[in-house]
Amino acid sequence: MKKARMKGKSVDEAVESALAVLGAKKEEATIKVICEGKSGMLGVIGGQEAEVEVMVAGELKDDAKQILQEILDHMKFLSMVETNESEDGVKLNIKGEDMGRIIGKEGATLMSLEILLRAMLGRMKNESVRISVDAGEYKDKRKTALERLACDAADEVSKTGIEKALPPMNPADRRIIHMVLKERKDVSTISRGEGRDRRLVINPQ
Amino acid sequence: MKELVEYIVKALVDNPDQVVVNEVQGETAAILEVKVAPEDVGKVIGREGRIANAIRNITKAAAAKQDRRVTVEILTDDKPSSGQ
Repeated sequence: MKKARMKGKSVDEAVESALAVLGAKKEEATIKVICEGKSGMLGVIGGQEAEVEVMVAGELKDDAKQILQEILDHMKFLSMVETNESEDGVKLNIKGEDMGRIIGKEGATLMSLEILLRAMLGRMKNESVRISVDAGEYKDKRKTALERLACDAADEVSKTGIEKALPPMNPADRRIIHMVLKERKDVSTISRGEGRDRRLVINPQ
Repeated sequence: MKELVEYIVKALVDNPDQVVVNEVQGETAAILEVKVAPEDVGKVIGREGRIANAIRNITKAAAAKQDRRVTVEILTDDKPSSGQ
């Protein structure tokens, strides 16, 4: 992502000079008007220059890393971001101090970072982006723990023939369990409840 | 905290020049009041308040590091909205 902030007599003029600085075309840029500008008396006195910020998107991986790093810097968390590209999209991993705070209760802060980053990038690129934010492999560890929980519960349901409801979980956690139990023939899964109370139920098959 | 909220909100809206964040001291916590252009309100709140809640969570985490308590309110039509 490249940014340029420029002033000019009009918005158009400011945009043009910013595009010239970036060496970009108008179609590929995101333009934000900082100040519309006003022409003063006789076009000279008391006028205010127009100001714009022009952004040109780069590779998703680089833009995501840059924006996440900027958010963390504003949060005053000393940390750095690693990126990894896979078929599931771009994975960002945060490393540094205060990992507990960055992760939050049951990963709530990580999830919030992901939501905001996705909204910002989506706006910049005019399409939805596939990214995920992790910190110190928290998500990987959580995934392993959830898969173990799911398998234990499924074994129990299979043995007793009685359905079992798991504790309320967020959509991402429920998805992990649905996926891991999809392959089993002896149980089936559904989600029940609304909002924060929504939980996964394992049924005997 | 104000800079953090300003940075996030400005990156989400079409009219960053109309973003105003005011810090008001509440009884137990500081309140950050966020004002944006009327057409940008939806972008800051998001579907089912997801964006607004994400902004709150991140601000809370950053404030907790400094042993502070901060809440974020998004103003719509001069009335505070929880976005929930």
